[in-house]
Amino acid sequence: MNILTIPLRNLRRKLLRTLLMIAVFSIGVASVTALLELSKAVGESLEEKLAAYGANILVTPRTETLSVSYGGMALGDVSVDIRSLTEDQTIAAINGIHHKDRLSAVAPKFALLTKVGETPVGVVGVDFDQEMRIKSYWHAQSGDLRLGEGEILAGSEAATRLGLSPGGQVVVEGKPFTVSGVLGPTGSGDDAMLFSDLHALQRAAGRENRVHFVEVAALCSGCPIEEITEQLAAALPGTDVKAMGQVVKSRMMTVEFVERLAVAVSGVILLTACVMIGLSVFSSVNERKNEIGLLRALGYSKASIFTLMSLEGVTLGLAAAVVGQAAGFAASSRLMALLDLGAAAPTFAPAQFAAVFAAVALLSVLASLPPALAAARIEPSQALVML
Amino acid sequence: MLIAEDVVKSFAAKDQAAPVLRGVSLSVSPGEFVCIVGRSGSGKSTLLNILSSLLTPDAGSVRYKGRDLAAMGEGERNKLRATDFSMVFQMHHLLPYLTARENVLAPFLSGLRPVSAARRRQALACLDRVGLADKADRLPGALSGGERQRVAIARALVTEPGIVFADEPTGSLDGDTGGQIMDILSRLNADGLTVLMVTHEPAYAAMASRVIEIRDGRIAAAH
Repeated sequence: MNILTIPLRNLRRKLLRTLLMIAVFSIGVASVTALLELSKAVGESLEEKLAAYGANILVTPRTETLSVSYGGMALGDVSVDIRSLTEDQTIAAINGIHHKDRLSAVAPKFALLTKVGETPVGVVGVDFDQEMRIKSYWHAQSGDLRLGEGEILAGSEAATRLGLSPGGQVVVEGKPFTVSGVLGPTGSGDDAMLFSDLHALQRAAGRENRVHFVEVAALCSGCPIEEITEQLAAALPGTDVKAMGQVVKSRMMTVEFVERLAVAVSGVILLTACVMIGLSVFSSVNERKNEIGLLRALGYSKASIFTLMSLEGVTLGLAAAVVGQAAGFAASSRLMALLDLGAAAPTFAPAQFAAVFAAVALLSVLASLPPALAAARIEPSQALVML
Repeated sequence: MLIAEDVVKSFAAKDQAAPVLRGVSLSVSPGEFVCIVGRSGSGKSTLLNILSSLLTPDAGSVRYKGRDLAAMGEGERNKLRATDFSMVFQMHHLLPYLTARENVLAPFLSGLRPVSAARRRQALACLDRVGLADKADRLPGALSGGERQRVAIARALVTEPGIVFADEPTGSLDGDTGGQIMDILSRLNADGLTVLMVTHEPAYAAMASRVIEIRDGRIAAAH
């Protein structure tokens, strides 16, 4: 027996009220836990889905332009010092940055302008697997959506212009390629291009291990895109690394909106729960003024009375933290299944559990603070009137 | 042991100070059984509360073992009430969710340190002194009015106080039960306990070694 005995016994005596208070606070904690887990899963799911619709960082060789004029007449800008990138070094450098685990796709490109018959056309060599991660919207209008050694995928416009169909032959830089499929219209520049395997095109052009630019898709949830951009720039001197502002911004806004919504709703729920705890302790103080007066007459200090009353609120809060988190995890798991968030599942993190536990304890103390202080201020002489 | 000198106390009533005590002086020696008597509103309970440090006088002083209560800090007064002074009220004021023995131990529950086995034995011994050792594990709801008041007396004894202040301890009890409570207090006094009791029952006052009558906030008679 010690100072804990009094609040614990009092809570046990009013078991129904205690259970109701724990249930109410647990619902608050469970809602917050479920919302946080859901927002995390929704954010990651959104990121993955958004990343599938394009890259958000572009790595290109650094170029300098020179404005040329002669005799007062502007002759336009001339690009000088055009370089390509070394494929293996560039890819290794990108995959070696600190936030490498936040990169969902690294898609290098080798581009050249060639003629098929007499018609000029752009051909882009791609790493097909990486390309499909950022262009999941590609689909075959005819033929197969594949890109093996010696095969070409034709954009819809290019196929029409060049009269290409699956199984047809195309000669690029003197090497024959077979058309494996024709892409459906995408509304982008892809429609006018031919796509071949990166290494096959490099060899055909006699420029092995060279790429012209690299598109990178980064998952931005929880990591600022600026940091990834800076890390890439530091790892790749002599290149320009540009975050595609609008793409990044819209993705971040979507993810942040979900997170902000979760935080706002959680805040309201927790505030309500805190008010409930505070009201419960206030009611307990009012009901037990005689008891508090008696304890003061028995020599209890104000600090002891404050502790007694706070402990009631904290006990309710801690019980709710355990029950609420367990219920929150269970609810979020069920909701994730209902919302079809793929393989997303709530992850039990001891640090997060401890943090929520501590936060709820702190909130309970704060909620109990006004009534506990009021109880501590009851003077024995006031109690005498009641006694 | 306990000396009050020229104690004055007023309470505010309708923007005016209503004097309750108008200069009361008395002393209590170790082992005495002093009764304060008087009609309702005479100021006897107020005097008891001032003497037990629960109220502060407007003027005058109260000294316990030579120390002025008013000069003590709040912590010292708390300590005094936890060790040297004990209170028995008209109502038993037991905590309804603690057993009789746990109620007796209530003065020791203000800290984190668990109550020792010695204290538990001490609590049982106090209950034995009031004849309730066999009901130590009962909740107050399972005890009669007289038994609850006896538990309250045991609670007042457990700290081995220098003085017990009893404010009409028989006030809520019937005649027979009140008589039993008075018998217990008399016996404890005979064992050496100093008792300062307020009552308006002349029969109970007659059991004290000294009676002080309060009238209109002053001592009207002492014998």
